[in-house]
Amino acid sequence: MSEMANMDPEGIDGVRMSWNSWPRTKVEASKCVIPLAACISPIRHHPDIQTLPYAPLRCKTCASPLNCFARVDFTAKIWICPFCFQRNHFPPHYGMISETNLPAELYPQFTTVQYTLPNPSINPQMGVDPNASPALSPSPVFVFVLDTCMIEEEFDYVRSAMKRAIGLLPENALVGFVSFGTQAHVHELGFSDMSKVFVFRGTKEVTKDQVMEQLGLTVPGRRGPAASAAYQQKGMMPNGFPSSGVTRFLLPASDCEFTLNSLLDELQTDQWPVQPGTRASRCTGVALSVAAGLLGACLPGTGARIITLVGGPCTEGPGTIISKDLSDPVRSHKDLDKDAAPYFKKAVKFYDGLAKQLVSQGHVLDVFASALDQVGVAEMKVAVERTGGLAVLAESFGHSVFKDSFKRVFEDGEHSLGLCFNGTLEVNCSKDIKIQGIIGPCTSMEKKGPNVADTVIGEGNTSAWKMCGLDKSTCLTVFFDLSSTDRSNTPGTVNPQLYLQFLTSYQTPEGQSLLRVTTVTRQWVDSTVSSEELVQGFDQETAAVVMGRLASLKMEIEEGFDATRWLDRNLIRLCSKFGDYRKDDPSSFTLNPCFSLFPQFMFNLRRSQFVQVFNNSPDETAYFRMLLNKENITNAAVMLQPSLISYSFNTLPQPALLDVASIAADRILLLDSYFSVVIFHGMTIAQWRNMGYQNQTEHQAFAQLLQAPQDDAQMIIRERFPVPRLVVCDQHGSQARFLLAKLNPSATYNNAHEMAAGSDVIFTDDVSLQVFFEHLQRLAVQS
Amino acid sequence: MAAPVPPGAPRQQPPTGPPPNFQQNPNALADNFQNMNLNRPPSSNTRPPPFGQPPPFSSSSPASPMTRPGPFPSGATLRPASGSPSPTLPPNMAPGRPSGPPFGQPPPFGARPPPPGAFPSSMPPSAGSPPYGAPPPVTRPSPVASSSPVNMGPSGAPSGFMSNGPPAPAFQAGQRFAPPGSSQHQPPMGAPPAMGPPARGPPQAGAMRPFMGSPGAGASQVLPPSGMGQAAPAFGGPPQAMLGSVASPYAPQMPSQPGVPPMPGSMPPPRMYGMPPPMQNQMTAISPVIGQTGGTQPGASKIDPNQIPRPIPSSSVILHDTRQGNQANPPPPATSDYIVRDTGNCSPRYMRCTINQIPCTADLLTTSGMQLALLVQPLALPHPSEEPIQIVDFGEGGPVRCSRCKGYINPFMKFIDQGRRFICNLCGFTDETPRDYHCNLGPDGRRRDADERPELCRGTVEFVATKEYMVREPMPAVYFFLIDVSMNAVQTGATAAACSSINQVIGDLPEGPRTMVGIATFDSTIHFYNLKRALQQPLMLIVPDVQDVYTPLQTDVIVSVSECRQHLELLLESIPTMFENTRTSESAFGAAIKAAFLAMKSTGGKLMVFQSVLPSIGLGALAAREAEGRSNVSAGDKEAHKLLQPADKTLKDMAVEFAEYQVCVDVFITTKTYVDIASISVIPKVTGGQVYYYHPFSVVSDSVKLCNDLRWNVSRPQGFEAVMRVRCSQGIQVQEYHGNFCKRIPTDVDLPGIDCDKAIMVTLKHDDKLQDGAECAFQCALLYTTVYGERRIRVTTLSLPCTSNLSNLFRMADLDTQFVCFLKQAAREVPITPPLHVREQVTNFCINILLSYRKFCATVSSSGQLILPEALKLLPLYTLALIKSAGLRIEGKIDDRSFWINYVSSASTPSAIPLVYPRMIAVHDLDTQDGNGSIVPAPLPLSSEHVNDEGIYLLENGQDCLIYAGNSVNPDIMQQLLGVPSADQGGAEFTLQQYDNPLSKKLNEVVNEIRRQRCSFLRLRLCRKGDQSGMAFFSYLIEDKVPTGGLSYVEFLVHIHRQIQMKMSS
Repeated sequence: MSEMANMDPEGIDGVRMSWNSWPRTKVEASKCVIPLAACISPIRHHPDIQTLPYAPLRCKTCASPLNCFARVDFTAKIWICPFCFQRNHFPPHYGMISETNLPAELYPQFTTVQYTLPNPSINPQMGVDPNASPALSPSPVFVFVLDTCMIEEEFDYVRSAMKRAIGLLPENALVGFVSFGTQAHVHELGFSDMSKVFVFRGTKEVTKDQVMEQLGLTVPGRRGPAASAAYQQKGMMPNGFPSSGVTRFLLPASDCEFTLNSLLDELQTDQWPVQPGTRASRCTGVALSVAAGLLGACLPGTGARIITLVGGPCTEGPGTIISKDLSDPVRSHKDLDKDAAPYFKKAVKFYDGLAKQLVSQGHVLDVFASALDQVGVAEMKVAVERTGGLAVLAESFGHSVFKDSFKRVFEDGEHSLGLCFNGTLEVNCSKDIKIQGIIGPCTSMEKKGPNVADTVIGEGNTSAWKMCGLDKSTCLTVFFDLSSTDRSNTPGTVNPQLYLQFLTSYQTPEGQSLLRVTTVTRQWVDSTVSSEELVQGFDQETAAVVMGRLASLKMEIEEGFDATRWLDRNLIRLCSKFGDYRKDDPSSFTLNPCFSLFPQFMFNLRRSQFVQVFNNSPDETAYFRMLLNKENITNAAVMLQPSLISYSFNTLPQPALLDVASIAADRILLLDSYFSVVIFHGMTIAQWRNMGYQNQTEHQAFAQLLQAPQDDAQMIIRERFPVPRLVVCDQHGSQARFLLAKLNPSATYNNAHEMAAGSDVIFTDDVSLQVFFEHLQRLAVQS
Repeated sequence: MAAPVPPGAPRQQPPTGPPPNFQQNPNALADNFQNMNLNRPPSSNTRPPPFGQPPPFSSSSPASPMTRPGPFPSGATLRPASGSPSPTLPPNMAPGRPSGPPFGQPPPFGARPPPPGAFPSSMPPSAGSPPYGAPPPVTRPSPVASSSPVNMGPSGAPSGFMSNGPPAPAFQAGQRFAPPGSSQHQPPMGAPPAMGPPARGPPQAGAMRPFMGSPGAGASQVLPPSGMGQAAPAFGGPPQAMLGSVASPYAPQMPSQPGVPPMPGSMPPPRMYGMPPPMQNQMTAISPVIGQTGGTQPGASKIDPNQIPRPIPSSSVILHDTRQGNQANPPPPATSDYIVRDTGNCSPRYMRCTINQIPCTADLLTTSGMQLALLVQPLALPHPSEEPIQIVDFGEGGPVRCSRCKGYINPFMKFIDQGRRFICNLCGFTDETPRDYHCNLGPDGRRRDADERPELCRGTVEFVATKEYMVREPMPAVYFFLIDVSMNAVQTGATAAACSSINQVIGDLPEGPRTMVGIATFDSTIHFYNLKRALQQPLMLIVPDVQDVYTPLQTDVIVSVSECRQHLELLLESIPTMFENTRTSESAFGAAIKAAFLAMKSTGGKLMVFQSVLPSIGLGALAAREAEGRSNVSAGDKEAHKLLQPADKTLKDMAVEFAEYQVCVDVFITTKTYVDIASISVIPKVTGGQVYYYHPFSVVSDSVKLCNDLRWNVSRPQGFEAVMRVRCSQGIQVQEYHGNFCKRIPTDVDLPGIDCDKAIMVTLKHDDKLQDGAECAFQCALLYTTVYGERRIRVTTLSLPCTSNLSNLFRMADLDTQFVCFLKQAAREVPITPPLHVREQVTNFCINILLSYRKFCATVSSSGQLILPEALKLLPLYTLALIKSAGLRIEGKIDDRSFWINYVSSASTPSAIPLVYPRMIAVHDLDTQDGNGSIVPAPLPLSSEHVNDEGIYLLENGQDCLIYAGNSVNPDIMQQLLGVPSADQGGAEFTLQQYDNPLSKKLNEVVNEIRRQRCSFLRLRLCRKGDQSGMAFFSYLIEDKVPTGGLSYVEFLVHIHRQIQMKMSS
């Protein structure tokens, strides 16, 4: 399958599986070590996807839409559902169907098609007419939640970033604004007499109902002074909100841009005094509850994002992660391990509740955190991930990681993130296949059914998931299991193919409702007979990513889980099962090419930040994991195993081994580890550059050599969200650590004498890949 | 009485037929009435002061009343420093009230009693008729008058009178009562000039007026008491006086009188019952008297209404030395106009006792039926002519105090052993004199420096507090305004009125950087305003959680007034428009004050709340209990008084917390509906604040009052974060404090705010016997912070003689104080006891005192006479007034009653009396009335008999001022006074305007004078006969019989008499 990995490994479907041929039985499946998993990118753009202007035709028993794998009897005008084998009559408007006149969804190459849906929440009566033009749902809502506890300089950065963002919003987008410090302030943008803010105390947890009641959003106009009255009188009920009250707080971007800009100009950092030796009091939790409550007044089905800009840890009220005493350091992984982080669990519980509320409203939480210390992303992760929100972690609001990423969120056009709202994913699958759950940015909708497995991985117990926010790159990993009943008893009924169908409905930023239906088929193989087919169907890259995601998940939820040993054990089992060797003879060990890359992936995974968390803060780990879980396979693979390109005179740029041996004095290396992009100049190159040769016309080639990795780096950066950190460094420079940390330590101070001059060594006790392989071989062949 | 009054005087129909009410009386009586009327007060002085008037200083009399105003310019005066008046007053306002500090205390009734002689003149003539030969008795001053027995029964009738009479005549002579005809007001008694101080003497005789009782006999007997009176030579007429006093029952009462009307002719009229002027000054005491008259027949309804005791106003200023000849001088009536010279005891303004001699034993006190209590008003406004309180700075050591009881040094501490030690007059402990305070004693045993040291020669001094007296730096003057902007408030104009009032008053706040202000508005949420921002506009910060409130900013919500004046003005102007279209009808009053409190917590200060509707939401929300109460009137009658209790404890708990942080809350209730004052008032009560009540609120007529009330509130003399304690000599201890304060430990009261209008009642009890002839001292120490941030201790000391003689107690009883104690106790009872019960209690109080007097001090008199101690002769009248007062009226609105209760709880004596016993004057003939030297004409008796259809009357009680126009008033006069031809066109929303005619000018002058006296702007209302407003007016005429069962004055006397007789015989 490796050839598939080349250009477009995901194809029209956006689906990649760890195994492309499935063993028949649960027992066999468990022997395969690597779980049966499908990674799908539900709304990835693909030029071949057809958008059909009608509603899908659904099977009357299992409700799965008609697809190209259905058997069709054109004369009887009947189709047979591949999932439940139900025979369905075509409705009258399919009357014209024949072998030569097929609807798009029946074309064999269109395994993925997209339907436009009327928006049920806006115009229920239109739902019955599939031909009705799709109605637009309400304009999207953006509520900015801004931290005011920061130094002036940072505050200036973040204010200008916000102003720019507001300028980029579509005119009809509704904007709300909440600022917070010791208390949370909801700004009533529609009040013209003076600046008016509703103040919520930072120390007290508020429920959605309380927020709505206190903002006067429960009974229309009950509290609203002039502003809401004015809207009602003029018949201005923009977007048909049920309560006109909310229009006091949410105004179209075009109307409130000026107000917001001047408000931002006047906005001060938090005025509550901070005692020396203490942290500023910051009620992030309350501010988010309030913002969520405010959005609770929107019509169901409204797409909305809460865009949180935080500059420090929450120290006040619900969601607190740390005491105000500065001598108390923010929790580390060690603290979490030892259960010495007194605020952690409570805060997670709070965000879990917030996530539930947001999911039920269909709204998204985005977090943009910029601080040198942690801000509590680890605790917020649950809310961000479950709602499909974005997270960006930077060191400063002035840093390009934040600035450029933030801009990308609001940008239109080619580089837009394609942020969509209110997605739901449903999975249909053939009998005997059980769904264990999903790892990725979604929430279980607890829709039970015969296909739902008892064991749960990630968001499980369901065959449908909610994705309040999703974008072009969103990727979900669905874990499958097989039913434990032994089907070999009834071979007659066995269908050689298995079918999986993914239905994704979502709302585009323009307000259109779409349903994408992807149906894929794979083959059952009887691995007891031969493992050949099984081996051929192994997708190493996907499998590595799946293992990475699974290991991360287990580290989070299983107490005392030792990821390294777990990965090692599984790798050994896998090699034992699929390697060719003579028992107890390590030297005889060989691996099928379909598995050949996998051990190296595991080696790098073991060394990555996902497993070696102690080098990072819990916030960083949470951040990395969120991205690992939501990016597509290719990107996720880069996170596990960075790519390294080498630039030198006289050769084209070429991939280099991720090994310290790749370092050479006359080379430039470009490392892409996803979160950072490192341009590494060999010693000689750096000297030349420092002498300014690139500025001399006779050394144009050198200038070009210097420029090439820069260009490539920019290309990567442009495509990526969040924007990675760009590190330009020289050999032996301090920043070089960003590169060295990722390289295989084939040369360390222990064996430095063996190395050729000019190359580099890494000061580490970590085992090198070679040593790792040796051990692996030895253990794999053990009887 | 028409007497002095100008001819045209409308007031009564004097001569003629009895007023309707009286009809019941036998005709005979009727006749009498008329006569009586004449005599009575009409003329200028109506005042009742028990003591006869003290015309003593003749000189003063005429001019005196007026004086006060003069001296003191604007309000500024009040304040120590400030001199400048505040110009801002709105036009309407008279210069008066707020501004001028002047008023010391206004005597309840306008002028103080004029000299007796004065009025008579006119009266007599007309009325003068027949019967009385004895007129004199009636008059108060005149000896005769003094003991005025009211005759009840027929029996005594004629003769009875006579008896009184007898003395009378005598007096006359002696006393210079001018002949009837004499017109002078002044010192009626001829004596005055001569007498100088003594003058009073004579009058006093009059003082006692016995009530009913047969004339002759009663009178005389009474007197017997002390020879003392006589002894005092000084007083011109002592002897007689005595007699008179005795006799004087109002003689008139019934029977005897028939003939009685005597007075008319002669002199009496003047002071009528003025009582016993005597007591006060004179040292001699005339013996108390009993006034009695013997009315024979109990039932007899033959009391001559004109002869019954009524307050006699005086128009002259009394000069009062607190001690003379090393003896306490009984103070002038609280309601009179007096100037005090502090000669050792504190001025009675600051502290007065219900009895000016202290009974030696608890038994004696119990026997008398009287109360022993102090009324303390530590920051009372002094009379402008009084010497200011001296400030004593002891330096770092602080004031010298007794090391055992911590009493402060005072003139009654006795230095011994060459001045090396001193004996505490409170606990009796002997202390070492601090070295640097040592001074030798003179031959008289006093320290040689006593006269130079205020703390050794003044009853009131103020010590500079040292660090020891501060738990923190003295707090700044913080004023936080909280305004209701709910729909109702905005629509009724209350919000706008509050905003503009605040705007006008900002300039009156104390100057300086220590003055801070804050402002917030509230409806169903609370809106704070950040005033400090350097931005174009203030920032509005809303606190939406009204269940659990908080402050939205720690700083910037309260800022120095100088920094935010512009923002504040802008904001106040825009608030009414900003909320113009609000549809929020809910009001989160409780939450709002809590939030404001939190904002002020770090400093403390004054929180002024403008509230317009029932608090309906959030913390401390209240239910509309009144409606509830009404719906089951039949079933709930017994429970109705529960509506006068706070609904729950929430507000109380809040209030206690406020007090702890020195936040004083004043509530201005501008409403048209029920707001449950019973619950709301807990907060001002506990925090030393006050409730202002504008109901039904009208923008037209109440805005100005609101503004003035607010101005007075912030500009009157006041203190913050105060603690008060009263110490007593051994043998007596404080039983309880009553008033607006918070009490956390038993001995002290905490007063987040204290001002010149607030009084605290301190009830006392014996814990031991006192020595006859010794003195018993009371010392009130008030530690407070001035608005300028100075920490001070105001110490007032009063030392009174002890006595074991019951008649001394009666003689030295202080009617006003005694009554105000009843009043305050009744007010406390009202919410917990059904009203009928309270009335009964009140009546019993009165009866028990009179019974005791009758039993032990007037044993000789016949049982047919109702005998009243001269000093307490008005007690029945006041008691009747109390029974009929707003607070005890069952049919009254709950809020009105709650307000009344609240008002009474902190009212000072001079303001409590008129609340119960208002003043009514005729205004249609102002231009022709002879004011007797005072601007305000003499009050009329509160009887519909004195209200006639052609007249326009003004009735005021210090809070409300009703202007009643009869049905047949001359439209010209209407036009001149009120600007409308008939009352029907006046409308309820009424403001007094000054038109260009003498009558109107005079009326404005009068109203302004009253405002000045009352320190209150008064709510003016126009009343018409026949409608609700007219009923309201008549409900104040407490002498009338009320259809629903209220007795007329005469009937009440008869009732009391009967009860006494019953108890006597049983």
